[in-house]
Formats: sequence, C-alpha cells, structure tokens
Amino acid sequence: MATYKLISSVTVGSGGAANIEFTSIPATYTDLVVKLSARNSITGDVYEDLGIYFNSSTSNLTWRMLYGTGAAASTTSGSTRYSAFVPTSSATASTFGSVEFYIPNYAGSTNKSYSVDSTTENNATTVLQNLSAGLWSNTAAITTVTLNPETGNFVQYTTAYLYGIS
Amino acid sequence: MAITSIKTGSSFTNLIKYNDFLAGNTAYQPTAYESIATVTVGSGGSSTITFSSIPSTYQHLQIRGIARTNRSDAAYDIVKLNLNSDTGNNYSHHFVYGDGSGTSAGATTSTNTIFNYYVGTGFASANIFGTLVIDILDYANTNKYKTTRTLGGVDFNNGSFGFIVLGSGNWRNTNTITSISLAPQAGNSFNQYTQFGLFGIKGA
Repeated sequence: MATYKLISSVTVGSGGAANIEFTSIPATYTDLVVKLSARNSITGDVYEDLGIYFNSSTSNLTWRMLYGTGAAASTTSGSTRYSAFVPTSSATASTFGSVEFYIPNYAGSTNKSYSVDSTTENNATTVLQNLSAGLWSNTAAITTVTLNPETGNFVQYTTAYLYGIS
Repeated sequence: MAITSIKTGSSFTNLIKYNDFLAGNTAYQPTAYESIATVTVGSGGSSTITFSSIPSTYQHLQIRGIARTNRSDAAYDIVKLNLNSDTGNNYSHHFVYGDGSGTSAGATTSTNTIFNYYVGTGFASANIFGTLVIDILDYANTNKYKTTRTLGGVDFNNGSFGFIVLGSGNWRNTNTITSISLAPQAGNSFNQYTQFGLFGIKGA
C-alpha cells in the first residue's frame, strides 16, 4: 500500500516571500507532491506566472500546457520555469490559487518529468487554469524544489506542503 | 510467539517493515493521507450526498468519486458542490475542457454553487460513470476564502463523445469547512453505485 508522508511545509509570514524552497529532500520516496495555496502581491493582471525549478537550476526546463482563461481555451509551450499561475492582489480579496505539482521518480537517474494542475480563481470571468507537463532535462536526483512567481512576492498566508509518496 | 526479524527473501518480504522505537532507529511516521468517510449510493438513488462534521485536524481535503445521475435528456450531468450548507450567491466557478475534438472554457460568478464537470447519466450507455477528484487546500484556514480544484471527466464509449475537465471554484467565506454537499445539477438523483470518498491530508 502506498504511503503519503509530509516532508516539509512553509507558511509565508506578514512580510511576504519572493520564493519558497524545500531543501535537503531525502531520496527515500518514489514520488514527490507539492500542494500550494498561494496569492501574489502584484496588481494589474489578476494572475501571475508561477515557476518551479530543481536543485537551484533554472536551465533545461521545458513544458507543454493546456489552459483556460474563463472565456477561451488554448495550448502553448515554453522553455522557462513558469508552468503554472497564481492569483494576484487584483483578484478577489482573500482568494488563493490552488496548485499541485507531481514529480515522479524524482530520485532516479533519468531526466525529470513533472505534471501540474493549477487554478487561480476570482469572482469575475478572468482566471487562469492550466494542466502542464514539464521536463527538467537533467538526470540528477532532485534534492531541492523552489517555487517562485515571475514578479512580486507570495503574500502572507500562502502555504506550501511537500509530500513524499512511497 | 513474537516475530523478532524479517529477512529479505523470506515469505514476509511483501510486508511493510517499520523500525521500532529503540534508540537509533527512525521513528514510525504514519501516512498523511487518511480516509474520513465514503458514501456509496444504494438501489433507491440519492438526491444529495453530504459529508458533515468534518474534523478540522487535517490540512487539506480531497474528494474522489465516480458518479452517474438520472438525467434523461442528455448523456452528461454536473455535480454541484456546496459548503457548510451555504446556498447564497457566494460562489464562483470556472472550467476548461477538451472533448476529443476541441477545447472550451467558461465562467460563472456570484452564483449559488460550484459546478464540477462532467459525469454520466441514465441517457448514456449503461454502467458509464464519470470520475472526479476535488482538492480543497487549507480548508480550515480562516484567513482564506476557499478554493476548489477539480479534475474530472467521462468517456461515453461511442467514439465521439466525452470530456476531460479542469474546474475550479471559490467560496467567498473564511469559515472552516465542516460540511460538503454534492448533488446533480440537471438530474434529481445520483444513480446506484455512485460513490464518493472524502480524504484528509495532514499538514503536521
């Protein structure tokens, strides 16, 4: 029977945070899951790009994405770390996005694939919902996972939980 | 007789082996993912499924289920979700889907429920159920409105019809979630064998 264990968690304090980082991840699980409930500090657009990268490397990251804006759906691809989204301070107050990153075989010797399902939410038409398949073209075991918005900070009460599955 | 050791290659190799609590060993850590309740609809059908008295001792909730409704004029239906018995216009919901030939997205704001797409109906072929996984992070955090995220869909085995949907909803209320109600949107009853499980995921 699979087990699901908490490795570490982060709750952002009143000053906000530019990034959230999980370090010294043990290699004792088969897969990793990150559950993120987040909001960004910027104003203007109601959502902001959210990045994930591994072992402090922002290179060799690519992804494919299906997304919806609340009014239209489309697909795109990229060669960055920004494969998800979070709501900003221009979205409905007190509303946090919901994101899950799934990283299988994170300690194996192959390139690292991951998946994302993410939504921003807002009491208005415009949101950003996406399903992404990402790849870090690196065979090293993942020991550090970093989350960061492209601009702005994570606001207070943003939470991130890292779980190991074995 | 006590079992004092388990050797690799023995008939016990499929057992989970935990360290004991003696000095020097890593302490046993229970799984963070636990079943809270499961409901399976009986032969009479059910108009609503409610999980009540949800403990606040977890960090996140997840609902996993299969569903089919008695809607008779279309093959697909929607599962409505309401929190803490609130049926006021305090919700919004959004979706993006693919149906095998195209994609679409939509939104409803200031409404009285959260839609979770799509499940099968009595109009579809027999025994076809849709599937849903609904995540609610930080459900007991009173600093946040509550956001749901749903991955769901159904295939009707006719070669041209079905959906895969990423949905989300927002309840503009900071209260801890203590009850969750699920009901068909167009039909008036879930069919027999519809099943929803509520799971809690620990954060400490």
